[in-house]
Amino acid sequence: MTKLKTEHLTRAFLGLVAVNDVSFSMDEGEILGIIGPNGAGKTTFINLVSGIIMPSSGRVEYKGRDVTYMPAHERARLGIARTYQLIHPLENLSLIENVMVGSIFARRHGLKTARAKAAGLCESLGLSGLDRDTSRLTILEIKKMEIARALANEPEVLFLDEVMAGLNADETRELIAQVQTIARERKLAVGVVEHVMGVIKELTHRVIVLEAGELIAEGPYEQVSKNPRVIEAYLGGAA
Amino acid sequence: MNRNLLRALAFAAGALAVSLPAFAGAYPLQVARNVIMYMALALTWDMLLRSGQISFGIAGLFGLGAYATALGVLRAGMGDWLSLAFAPVFAGAAALLIGFLILRLRAMYFSIVTLALAEIFRIVIHNLHDFTGGPEGVVLDGVMLGGSAAALYWLTLGGLAVALGASWWFEKSKFHFALTAIRNNETAARSSGVDIFRWLLATFVITSAIQGLLGGIYVQSYGFATPDSVFDANFTLLPLAIALLGGIHSTIGPVFGAILLGLSSEWLKLRLPYGHLVVYGVIIVVVILFMPQGLYGLARKGLRRAEGRAE
Repeated sequence: MTKLKTEHLTRAFLGLVAVNDVSFSMDEGEILGIIGPNGAGKTTFINLVSGIIMPSSGRVEYKGRDVTYMPAHERARLGIARTYQLIHPLENLSLIENVMVGSIFARRHGLKTARAKAAGLCESLGLSGLDRDTSRLTILEIKKMEIARALANEPEVLFLDEVMAGLNADETRELIAQVQTIARERKLAVGVVEHVMGVIKELTHRVIVLEAGELIAEGPYEQVSKNPRVIEAYLGGAA
Repeated sequence: MNRNLLRALAFAAGALAVSLPAFAGAYPLQVARNVIMYMALALTWDMLLRSGQISFGIAGLFGLGAYATALGVLRAGMGDWLSLAFAPVFAGAAALLIGFLILRLRAMYFSIVTLALAEIFRIVIHNLHDFTGGPEGVVLDGVMLGGSAAALYWLTLGGLAVALGASWWFEKSKFHFALTAIRNNETAARSSGVDIFRWLLATFVITSAIQGLLGGIYVQSYGFATPDSVFDANFTLLPLAIALLGGIHSTIGPVFGAILLGLSSEWLKLRLPYGHLVVYGVIIVVVILFMPQGLYGLARKGLRRAEGRAE
């Protein structure tokens, strides 16, 4: 079943077209890789589908419903969640309180329910010491906390914007396994932006490739990675 | 710290505050009334600050509430209590309208607009001579509760109870999560489903209504209102200084800040007439430079460090 789909999605910033005519869709249970060189428009694309910025033209559909111009907080309630490339811990809240925020506002749970649900999410991601200040967390713990906060929205679509960046090999492996488990158990459609191709290869069922805002290739990683246009985008014309 | 000890201390402080008229003379009671009034205003200012929004408009809402009460009595024939209830309703309604217009502004822009609005209210009331009494203001037939110093003190204490209750509720409810998330990172807050505008509007209306109520209490305690007395810049600046000194983003900070600054300024007034304002200014500068989280923030940090060592 198609969860999320865009049609001709375009966003221009003062003449620079950051996302250009992108049409794609994501199905239930699918882990989709979103790759492309720096500046290709990956994060802008996620900002557009999550409602952080609005498109210049085109359409975003969530479960058949037009959400193109819906504000971000309403999309969060509807079931679209995301994390950020630059970490966004809420510094004056503890670890568990950070996670509770998604439950309280996206799901409108009371504080008690939200705390119980947040504790469960933290446990499933292997987080402990839940009353700690965010300043006392490791980078891996902050990334997990942000994933937990997004999951507290109880989303059906989840975007992870470079969550593996800055983690070492062991940490990356651990997080890949956890994301896979979570996606499977919750039947999530997951969109993953990553620069490390090993992660994309391991984690995703399908990949879309953006270059200069345009979708230039689509398919399983093995197939896309052999696509001459993709190789050229990554290595430049000389290759 | 021990929760029961804190509870006992709070109870003792409350009992002391309520029973103060039994043993304090007219002068200390008057000082206490001032301290309480500013403490309540500081709490309301801090409540909005917890969302990251710095208002310089306290005097504006305080003055609106004061005039709502005074004109409610004089022009609409309201009874004393009804006129008191009218103040927060009027200030809250004004805040709702204003909030729609200005709560999309942030940082300096928001602060400056609140400052300008307070000045606009003052000028409008100043110039609506026939209705508001103009620059000479309005005088009530008498003060409320027969002018009993003890009763008026308790009335002001009631205003503080409202502010304390609201502040405590903000700390324990969804407001805490909404406002802290907004202050920390609006983008992250939105992605977690926080309707930022709605929470800011609710906070602005609630804090403004309480500021209006305090203005109403002020008028009913002194029996008159002039544009210069109820829109005095001190009603904006002292609460700010109190919250900064005591510790922002908390209920306990403004409480201690008001007691410290209130009592020390009273003492300084006697020692150094006029000079006390200079000392006052120095205190504020030192606090902002060396302990931006205020005394409570400093204490919290010390406590955390001690805990860290104990671990």
